[in-house]
Amino acid sequence: TEWNVSLWGQRRAFTEHVHHLADAVAEATGGEFTMNISYGGLSDNRENLDGISIGAFEMAQFCAGYHRDKNPSITVLELPFLGVSTLEEEVAVSHAVYNHPATQADLGRWNARLLMTSPMPQYNLVGTGEPRDSLAEFEGMRVRATGGIGELMESVGAVPTSVTSSEAYNAMEGGVVDTVAFAQHAHLSFRTIDIADWWTENLNPGTVNCPIVVNTDAYDALPEDHRAALDAAVDGAIQHYLDNYAELLQRWDAVLEERGVERITIPDEELSSLAENAAPIHAAWIEQMSSQGLPAQELYDLVQTTLAEHRAGN
Amino acid sequence: MRALLDGVDIFTVSLWLSALLLVLVLIGVRVAFAAAFVGMLGLCIYFMQRQGFDRGLVTAIKLAGQVPHSKSTGYALSLIPTFILIGYLAYYAGLTRALFEAAKRWVGWLPGGLGVATVFATAGFAAVSGASVATSAVFARIAIPEMLKMNYDKAFAAGVVAAGGTLASLIPPSAILVIYAIIVEQSVGKLLLAGFIPGMVSALIYAGLVIGLAKTRKNLGPPVTGFTWGERFASLPGAIPILFVVFIIIFSIYYRGEDGAWATPTEAGALGAFVVLIMALWKGMKWGQLRSALMEAAKLTAMIFAMIWGVLIYVRFLGFAQLPDQFAAFISGLEMSPYLVLLMILGAYVILGMFMDAIGMLILTLPVTFPAIIALNGGPDVTREMSAFGMTSEECAIWFGIIVVKMAELCLITPPIGLNCFVVAGVAQDSKLPISVQDVFRGATPFFGADVATVAVLIAFPGIVLWLPSLV
Amino acid sequence: MSSSSAVLTDDSTLSRLDRALLKLESSLNLVGGIVIFLLVLMAVWNVFGRKIFNAPVPGYVDWTEQLMALFAFLGLAYCQREGGHIRMDIVVSRLHGRILWFAEWISILFMLIVTTALVYGTWFHFQRSFDLNAPNFSRDSSIDISLPLWPAKLIVPVALAILWLRLVLQLWGYWRALRTGEDKPVAVPLPDDPMSQATREARTVSGREDDT
Ligand code: NA
Ligand code: NA
Repeated sequence: TEWNVSLWGQRRAFTEHVHHLADAVAEATGGEFTMNISYGGLSDNRENLDGISIGAFEMAQFCAGYHRDKNPSITVLELPFLGVSTLEEEVAVSHAVYNHPATQADLGRWNARLLMTSPMPQYNLVGTGEPRDSLAEFEGMRVRATGGIGELMESVGAVPTSVTSSEAYNAMEGGVVDTVAFAQHAHLSFRTIDIADWWTENLNPGTVNCPIVVNTDAYDALPEDHRAALDAAVDGAIQHYLDNYAELLQRWDAVLEERGVERITIPDEELSSLAENAAPIHAAWIEQMSSQGLPAQELYDLVQTTLAEHRAGN
Repeated sequence: MRALLDGVDIFTVSLWLSALLLVLVLIGVRVAFAAAFVGMLGLCIYFMQRQGFDRGLVTAIKLAGQVPHSKSTGYALSLIPTFILIGYLAYYAGLTRALFEAAKRWVGWLPGGLGVATVFATAGFAAVSGASVATSAVFARIAIPEMLKMNYDKAFAAGVVAAGGTLASLIPPSAILVIYAIIVEQSVGKLLLAGFIPGMVSALIYAGLVIGLAKTRKNLGPPVTGFTWGERFASLPGAIPILFVVFIIIFSIYYRGEDGAWATPTEAGALGAFVVLIMALWKGMKWGQLRSALMEAAKLTAMIFAMIWGVLIYVRFLGFAQLPDQFAAFISGLEMSPYLVLLMILGAYVILGMFMDAIGMLILTLPVTFPAIIALNGGPDVTREMSAFGMTSEECAIWFGIIVVKMAELCLITPPIGLNCFVVAGVAQDSKLPISVQDVFRGATPFFGADVATVAVLIAFPGIVLWLPSLV
Repeated sequence: MSSSSAVLTDDSTLSRLDRALLKLESSLNLVGGIVIFLLVLMAVWNVFGRKIFNAPVPGYVDWTEQLMALFAFLGLAYCQREGGHIRMDIVVSRLHGRILWFAEWISILFMLIVTTALVYGTWFHFQRSFDLNAPNFSRDSSIDISLPLWPAKLIVPVALAILWLRLVLQLWGYWRALRTGEDKPVAVPLPDDPMSQATREARTVSGREDDT
């Protein structure tokens, strides 16, 4: 068996688990089941679900926030201020939501089967100029943040400003925006950290959810042993991802140090007032998704209970 | 059918189909559609081999059907019609003619005077236009008729306009430099600054070439003499608005007030178009003329976007056939001097550029060549001392960007597919001038030589590229 | 700077259909041009809104990307009608009479085949983004402010379908020329002969001088 896998950009922390998975599967099947991993050659990043649905390739990565209407069920994981704080928690809540029948039906429309997540840490702001260490100072701040995070920033008077991620560096360097919200690896690869004066280490306003999916027909057509090898490789791949990202976070600390970027801690009482602002966004999501026929409250509660269980378990 | 297809491997198929593309283009099939046809055929073969005839056909059609919308709606490309519109509006504002007139009066006395004037006028216009195709189109209307009236060789007249147009892509603003910066994720502002001096060097080399040609070839065309100093100075005010537009664009990107810069480079292009529009209205442009400008800009835009998505359907097939991957493996496996590898990559660009348009070529190759060049230089974190080319990876990215864009531009004037030459011939035919595509290619040939010399200068003296961006 | 079309007309059915389709094509192309213009205005609004009122256009990038589908595709068929899509005429320019019409016919046939496939392919692309039962009929949306993508995706098969009609007309036109062997068929872009080019040269160029 030979599978085509569609990713985008370049090989990075965000795609390491796919490489690990491919190697593990090839090894377990004695080289009979191989994967060709392509970065952008097979599809654009926003079309990966389309490619899966038409059977152009067998495995792909995408982010729910790129196209919320394609995958409404998993956008629950992108709500601002969900309370997730570690990558392990992100994995636990993601996989719980992926296993819910409503989510599987939602992705089933694309002939897609959710295999595993690509856990992203919470986004945080880097900014230029005087540190903005209280919500009052967010008033009038131009911020590059999309979707729910942008909405949340707007609720405290910030101005979401529309620039592409690849223009983020230029926009911040030129002062077109004051701050940019990304996960650490994106701040590194889009180089926004190079010109930052400060970084909010505990704002944690939310993140994007980026699953790896496989084409259902291709999955069902796998010989028994190949399918078993694929399923068995998931846990190891996720563990590899977590270990690798932990190294990246250590490098992140070193980069902050080296470039003299100030760490900003937002006081707890301010964070809880931000969480209050997020509550109506959550309620609106539940109402809107329920009207589409999704068991939205159930998915939302699933996230909260899984989070609580995961914390109790540790 | 399936048995027939099962016998061949897809890499061989991709080579055969590339040959078929060449044949289709040669027999006169519109390039965008020839590329789309071959890409579609390749996808059909690929998926029929994997999924059988019926399912494979459907998959291939659906897959190719994604490309036109998804590749035409990327934000970075939104600059292209804006820059085209600037070109047409500037024409109606009389800016281009004033510029050409001033250049004629100041440098027309040189050997091959109207040719030299065309080079400097296109260089000046390049400072407001970001698209070399549009620049060539505009000057084909202004400069070629004047040169023909003065009995200039028609191939030369067309060639100098086709080549002069390419200056627009180095001298900022430049759509293709923005696209490069976005593909390789580098500072757009620094790349645009980096193009300025190489663009000027290019213009000087072109001018030198025209003078040389005029001295060695008898029937090239006469100099224009007899302008008084009074007439020369009288021509300047007409050219000043260009300087004003240049000022607006540079100011809005680079001026930092208390509240930061005014615009991103993408937005600055639109500001420039707006200023030129105001000028054109002020010069008394009528609705009929604005309508013509919009019609022409929309037609040229549809043509360029068809090229982009048509070529990218073909590129999508190459992606499945893994041609780019094989190239990357090949390059990184070489054990030879980095400069030799660089020259080989540039040589490959010349060959690819014969068949592809500049943007398609960059989109296809940069994902492969850019990491290879950065690795060749010593990796992303290399110091100047440890690097192969004596520069940091950021400097290397800027340097390679300018060289690659110059290469891509050079391909706009080489047969069989040279967009600038097609456009010049198209405008000439539209204006009922007796100039064929072959004439334009013939006239552009010496400028190909000049471009090769420019690239050699840029490789030998990276400081020409890196000095200006090092100041910000 | 209007392009004078080299397409001949008479009162045959073919020519009447050609002109009827041209009306549609040129109005769509004009809409494309106006959208380019609006894009410029929106960028200016975004810059000044941000700079002066700290109020940029919300979802500016998303809106730009949606508008791009309009100017990228609305001029597609018009461009073909005017003979504006780029090609190599190194071989074609040496052909005459029936051989020329045959070469043109074949060339249009290749375009028609790929356009037919693309009408289907882009229609499927639209269909995946469209759902009568979803809010705003939307099954695909933009990254920042969740604009539905189906209107932009619908433009593409519609524009390609109009191009398809144009190609069928041209196929018919070249086929008729191939049968009659005439020198100047209607409804297809003609290569201009050098004599008439030369006589009109002076007038067109001086006419353009007056424009500026
Ligand atoms: Na330029
Ligand atoms: Na070429």
